[in-house]
Amino acid sequence: MLTSSVISELKAIVGSGYVLTDQEDLIIYSNDATVFNHLPAAVVQPANRDEVAAVVKVAAARNIPVTPRGAGTCLSGGAVPLKGGIVLDLARLNKIRTLDAARKIVVAEAGVVTFEITSQAAKLGLLYPPDPSSLKESTIGGNVAECAGGPKGVKYGITRNFVLGLEAVLPDGTIVETGNAVDGDMCGPDWTMLITGSEGTMAIVTAVTLRLVPMPETKKTMLATFDRLENAAKTVSVTMGAGIIPTTLELMDNLSIVAVEKAVRIGLPVEAAGLLLIEVDGVPSTVEENARRVSEICRECGAMEVKIAQSAAEAEDLWVARRAVAKAFGQIAPCKFAEDSTVPRSLIPLLVDKCLEIQKKYDLPMVIVGHAGDGSMHPTIMFDKRDKDAVARAEKALDEVHIVTLELGGTLSGEHGIGSAKAPYLRAEMGPVGYKLGQDVKAALDPQGIMNPGKMFNYEGALH
Amino acid sequence: MNDRECSRIFENELVKCSRCGSCRSICPVSLAENAENATPRSKVRMIEAVLEGELALTPGVQARFDKCLLCKACKANCGGGVATDELILGSRINLVKRNGLNPVKRLAFTSLRYRKLFDLGLKLGAAFQGLIFKDLPDGSGKVARIPLPAAGLNLRRVVPNLTTSPLRTRLPAVNKAKTPETKGRVVFFTGCTLNYMYPQAGEAVVNILTGNGYEVIIPPEQCCCGTPAFTSGDAATGRVLAEQNVRAIGAYKYDHVVTACSSCGAALLAEYGRLLEGSPLLEDWRQLSGKVLDIAQFVVRHCDMTKFGSLPLKITYHDACHLVRGMKVSAEPREIFRAIPGLEYAEMKDADRCCGAGGTFSAVYYELSRKINDWKLDNAEATGMDYVVAGCSACRMHITDGLSQRSSKMKVLHTAEVVAMAYEAGRKG
Ligand SMILES: Cc1cc2nc3c(=O)[nH]c(=O)nc-3n(C[C@H](O)[C@H](O)[C@H](O)COP(=O)(O)OP(=O)(O)OC[C@H]3O[C@@H](n4cnc5c(N)ncnc54)[C@H](O)[C@@H]3O)c2cc1C
Repeated sequence: MLTSSVISELKAIVGSGYVLTDQEDLIIYSNDATVFNHLPAAVVQPANRDEVAAVVKVAAARNIPVTPRGAGTCLSGGAVPLKGGIVLDLARLNKIRTLDAARKIVVAEAGVVTFEITSQAAKLGLLYPPDPSSLKESTIGGNVAECAGGPKGVKYGITRNFVLGLEAVLPDGTIVETGNAVDGDMCGPDWTMLITGSEGTMAIVTAVTLRLVPMPETKKTMLATFDRLENAAKTVSVTMGAGIIPTTLELMDNLSIVAVEKAVRIGLPVEAAGLLLIEVDGVPSTVEENARRVSEICRECGAMEVKIAQSAAEAEDLWVARRAVAKAFGQIAPCKFAEDSTVPRSLIPLLVDKCLEIQKKYDLPMVIVGHAGDGSMHPTIMFDKRDKDAVARAEKALDEVHIVTLELGGTLSGEHGIGSAKAPYLRAEMGPVGYKLGQDVKAALDPQGIMNPGKMFNYEGALH
Repeated sequence: MNDRECSRIFENELVKCSRCGSCRSICPVSLAENAENATPRSKVRMIEAVLEGELALTPGVQARFDKCLLCKACKANCGGGVATDELILGSRINLVKRNGLNPVKRLAFTSLRYRKLFDLGLKLGAAFQGLIFKDLPDGSGKVARIPLPAAGLNLRRVVPNLTTSPLRTRLPAVNKAKTPETKGRVVFFTGCTLNYMYPQAGEAVVNILTGNGYEVIIPPEQCCCGTPAFTSGDAATGRVLAEQNVRAIGAYKYDHVVTACSSCGAALLAEYGRLLEGSPLLEDWRQLSGKVLDIAQFVVRHCDMTKFGSLPLKITYHDACHLVRGMKVSAEPREIFRAIPGLEYAEMKDADRCCGAGGTFSAVYYELSRKINDWKLDNAEATGMDYVVAGCSACRMHITDGLSQRSSKMKVLHTAEVVAMAYEAGRKG
């Protein structure tokens, strides 16, 4: 609970319509895209950087927890106000301040939806490559906080590779500007990268300066099917080894192929062990040549069939299967744990095998899709949350997936973040020294521990 | 929908919501408000909290549930396939049971139940509209002289002229086929907007049908389809009206029931099933429902499209929500436009996104519905065409209002009017 004097102070800063305390709204802002909930005491919706800073000052003066929130699409509980206090909704910071085609940079406020940046840049013939599947909903602030990635990551990199500078409000309410719009700036440690991926636990990002690249002239889409998953994984390694970096290398395992075919009936080979959706982009001559070589490599590595799209419409057809995944999974069971296990590329078949074992052991449907290019796989465990026994089995299965991933030398979060959901495994992943360092850095920046408490290095549950 | 059925639907649908938030970029209201508490996801979250006893069915919940256009876009795009529209309708019904109906709506729906009263009300309205409204110079409609916020009559809002002679008084109950042979019998369910506001579009429908060899029955006992009432949570009124219509139509022998209003069509085709649960008329409705076709479907399936004459119009098309997602009609109008010689057609961006009318939504949240409408108009104008065509008169009303606010040169037509003009051109050779 916040006292009425705090509420009035907050209202004086952002305007009374932008401090929400109705029970209905507190419930609505109590969760992100996970199953976790915790009620905040208030939702505050500032309009700009200075209002953000003023709100944080009020919170700091009174030790009130502050949980920043973009679009609330976080898959690790990051936007859940675990300790109550203020949910700081950044949606109103939604202006693109600068879009400079000559310098190829964009300066966007934290609440701008990422797709808006992608589309505005495209109008000037520029590409903002990071493409999380939540692109049309998630905010750039949330993407930076989570260091989001997507299929294009293989070739272009993920969010952190495009952040040149940040404007952020620190936990005491002061404003910091890090980096700058010139790529070469490097005076001392990189504060920009400290805040990028810190999931709102160290600072509140209010604006982001991003690098853009020229739009590729053309692209070519291919679909290869394999009777053995190893062959699909080998194809990925050989392709990359040959110096061809596709923009997309999406993998679907047999169970997801079957699920999609059942849902949309587009004639997918349900007997195939795996399927790769591959896209190459660039100047027309290279694209043609690369597409030809990739299809050769697929065959050499034992592909049963390789389809190359001859037109934009055909390319769309090849994408149908991948895009239908979410819908298809919904038909298997209503609820899912969509994991985000990243392993070295060559170990993908092993991860899939292990997942199949886990699936058998706990008797739950499990499907695997992912960005094979960087080894970021999404083993998805399906269940119905009304079946308490299934939920318990799903949680155990999830735990084993995490352990297997770490055993394979992988990482728990290619892109979905740590939040509270994966915090129990963070020490195991970073090692005790790395973890301690994280705790120290967090304490130095946020000695009161008010910034997104209970997550990452401030997780209070048992650690693995 | 009874309580038991309601909670069954709730349970099955709630469990499917993964809270992914993909509806944020689809829902026109969420986009316009840019706030979580306007999203479909938030509505699912509220129902969940109500069922878990964390939240009562407060007027606050009701207000948030009223802020929905029922455009069904969230449902159509949901990965988990959550039937958000059913959840929202079901909740509204329960909320109305508990908190009652907004007084203006209560009055309006009472008169809907008494067709004669409603007729009289609208006729009186037509006679007296000069007192409240002033005509726009171009004759396209009226704006209010005094603000009537309760009726959604903002000073800016342009409403069409109420006709002094509604469609159903202009035409007889039985309209003979204009061909030597009669191919079949069609019941034309006119709906209120065609009857009272756009009778010329209703006449176009009858001309298309009779010209193609169908006898057209316009049952005089038909009344409002009930959509405004049951979508507001007044299921009782919805049911009374549904029963009346099933009886009115059932009094005739017919091969098809044709509608030219997407909300009426979706109601007769599907929504009545829920309203008539347990009614002795449920079986009659099932028979009827299998014969319902929108006029665009009817034209494509049963009319001679080779008789279209040249029609040099430049048009774009707006997919009414209840037509594209309610009745699954979107290919047919486009097929018709392709078949009309001389007609120039350009697709607009986001053609199937709601125009913001949403029945009583635009009355209660006028400014918000205007903002949503403005996106539609921007996309329509960007095509460079002269006409926006739609198969729904509620959309037509709202789009016409918007166009006149921005002094646009674009005009709105009903699909049936375009078809009738094409036949007319064909006859003249
Ligand atoms: C259907 C679906 C698909 C997804 N696909 C992908 C994918 O392909 N790749 C991927 O990487 N992720 C994916 N995600 C995860 C999620 O979309 C991303 O993590 C996204 O970056 C979150 O953005 P948001 O604006 O929703 O942030 P929120 O969910 O609101 O917040 C995320 C975290 O960042 C913090 N935060 C938010 N804004 C700020 C700010 N301005 N300053 C400081 N901290 C802030 C919050 O406190 C929270 O900890 C997916 C999620 C869903 C639901």
